[in-house]
Amino acid sequence: MTTSHVAGRRRGRLVWRNTAVGWSFLLPNFAGFAILTLVPVVLLFYYSFTEWNIFGGSTWSGTANFRQLWNDSSFWTALRNTFYYAVFHIPLTIAVSLSLALLLNRKLRGVAFFRTVAFFPYITSIVAIAQIWNMLFSPGYGPVNEILRAIGVDNPPGWTTSADWSMPAVIIVGTWRDMGYYMLLFLAGLQTIRAELYEAATVDGAGPWQRFRAVTLPGLRPTTFFITVLLTINSFKIFDLILVMTDGGPGQSTLVLSQYIFQKGFEENQYGYASAVSIVLFAICFLVTIVQFLVNKRRDTA
Amino acid sequence: MKRSIAAALGAATAISLVLTGCSGDGDSGSGSGSNTLTLAGWSLATTPEFKTLVDGFRAVNPDVTIELKEYDAANYDTQMIADLAAGKAPDIYVQKTLKNFYTYQTGKQLLDVSDVAGKLGSTVAGLPTYQVEGKTYAIPYRQDSWVLYWNKALFAQAGVKPPDGSWTWDDYVTAAKDVTTKLKAKGSKAVGAYQHTWQSTVQGFALAQSSGADLTSADFAFLKPYYERSVDLQTAGAQVSFGDATTNKLTYQAQFGKQQAAMMVMGTWYMATLRSQQEKGDADKFEWGIAPAPQQTKATTGTSATPVTFADPTGLGINPAIGEGKVETAKQFLAYAAGPEAAKALAAIAITPADTTAVKDSFFTISGVPTDDLSKFTFASHDTKPENPVGKYTAPLQNILNDLHSAVLSGSKPIDAAITEAQDRAKNEVIGK
Repeated sequence: MTTSHVAGRRRGRLVWRNTAVGWSFLLPNFAGFAILTLVPVVLLFYYSFTEWNIFGGSTWSGTANFRQLWNDSSFWTALRNTFYYAVFHIPLTIAVSLSLALLLNRKLRGVAFFRTVAFFPYITSIVAIAQIWNMLFSPGYGPVNEILRAIGVDNPPGWTTSADWSMPAVIIVGTWRDMGYYMLLFLAGLQTIRAELYEAATVDGAGPWQRFRAVTLPGLRPTTFFITVLLTINSFKIFDLILVMTDGGPGQSTLVLSQYIFQKGFEENQYGYASAVSIVLFAICFLVTIVQFLVNKRRDTA
Repeated sequence: MKRSIAAALGAATAISLVLTGCSGDGDSGSGSGSNTLTLAGWSLATTPEFKTLVDGFRAVNPDVTIELKEYDAANYDTQMIADLAAGKAPDIYVQKTLKNFYTYQTGKQLLDVSDVAGKLGSTVAGLPTYQVEGKTYAIPYRQDSWVLYWNKALFAQAGVKPPDGSWTWDDYVTAAKDVTTKLKAKGSKAVGAYQHTWQSTVQGFALAQSSGADLTSADFAFLKPYYERSVDLQTAGAQVSFGDATTNKLTYQAQFGKQQAAMMVMGTWYMATLRSQQEKGDADKFEWGIAPAPQQTKATTGTSATPVTFADPTGLGINPAIGEGKVETAKQFLAYAAGPEAAKALAAIAITPADTTAVKDSFFTISGVPTDDLSKFTFASHDTKPENPVGKYTAPLQNILNDLHSAVLSGSKPIDAAITEAQDRAKNEVIGK
């Protein structure tokens, strides 16, 4: 046995040992993921092709659930409302949280206080948020409409009690709640942009707007991409806020996909059908994320 | 080095074992001996009826132990269905409403208790609703009914003729407006009526009182007059608007108990709450009474007729997973709960038992319950139809009608358009799917 042989074996053992240590650290996390997420998700795909009322076995029904979905006007309403929410909530939240981050990214007396204030809605209980905003939006006595009347709006909207205004109301509250969290991510992103770049731009005669467009925005690209993906998935999955604020009403004006899943599954015990709707929601989130990845990649190479 | 790897592996295994242990079976709910039963209940601190039943039963059967398992009142059925599916549900569980009875019964989650039903007296209300193809699957112990609560002080202040059992809904609307105007003239902020935000406050009466009304017919025209009256009342200001009630999360207990409204339709369960809130000071102290719910036509009004109203019975069923040796004891408990002894014990805490005739006098001896003749009549005589007629389509149809309810009362949709939409949805999404 030569020395090099021994060394090689020793190295091999070391590699194996390192891998084992790595896996053992991953194991708890992975076990939790496998049991609580992976297995249920795989089962979900199966259940979406069955009819199942939770008791007893599920019966295979082929694509019946999906054919039923196609003709289900409530499903289309929920889908439309989900897109309505996402299409307005995503850009609004990005705009508001980016503006907040820019405002609070300077050496200002008490800046920590204002950052905390902006972050506060995110850590407040969603039930409390919904309750308070519902009162603020109350058409008869709410302060929002009092102010609108005071500044000369004759017929202020009915907000959560009106089919036309309930979704805007939810979007406003959703944006207000999320802005602090995404502001924090933007702030972290802003720290990574080197100060020299700004100096160089200033020397070249760039104004504030040009510096924002030429330095800040490109510098924030990775952060913005990450935030957009996160926001998109969260917007399509919106559930808690709607459930406690409007419960999908008035009528079906704020019914969203995840609430429809909850209704079909847990209220009407049609677990197979609810699983089919979940698959659609999953597909949407998946597709949108893929598209965003592709767009981002193309920009990277461009 | 080696020892730290071993330690890391050991820790990782331990954690993963704990994680998998979480999803292991926890079949500890059902006690071991044949004399130990488990019973489901909700909000035990504020809902004394379960303990009352258990104590009453144990007084005659001291060797039996009954353990109560608490559920969340608002999510009772969701949690119970999950527990039944997981095999962790208690031996005896409550049918809180009729909405999910179909799911339990067709899902084979209820034991046949026809022999218990056969021995019960004919005065136990609500029994037929639990019968499917000649077999009984649950035993009612409680049967509420919706009635009209009215504030005697506010009516006296307004000087309006109080309810006397002869009212149709039109009389009710007239009185509500009348009270509102007259109280306003006297500087009071109270209004004539409060209608809680639930769909049952409108639809329950419409379904029970309209002849030929049937949810599964997908013909909801019978709702129209009932909604027109509700909208009329809130437009006239004789009732808090639906939007204000939902956005401010108004509670019916405060609206009536704090004298914000002179009248309110509500189930008889509220008598126990109101009386205890008045004792504790959570509600104002004032004289109140109950009157029969307003009727659709004059034919069912007056104290010589039987007023038509609605409410689901509350029943007890046996989980088929119960141990073989415990079935007899569980059936004895069901028989006791529906019997006259339990009825008296329940009436003593102001709960309306399924057998109201057994307690029609003793109920009115408890403090804080109104004792006028009309209240007594209201308590004893009613034709109470189920709110959720048992059937495969009940739950999804009620969800569709709940959308109609919020759309119409918020003013988002006119009643005719809302009915047409609900009918289309019922046909496409539920009945003809």
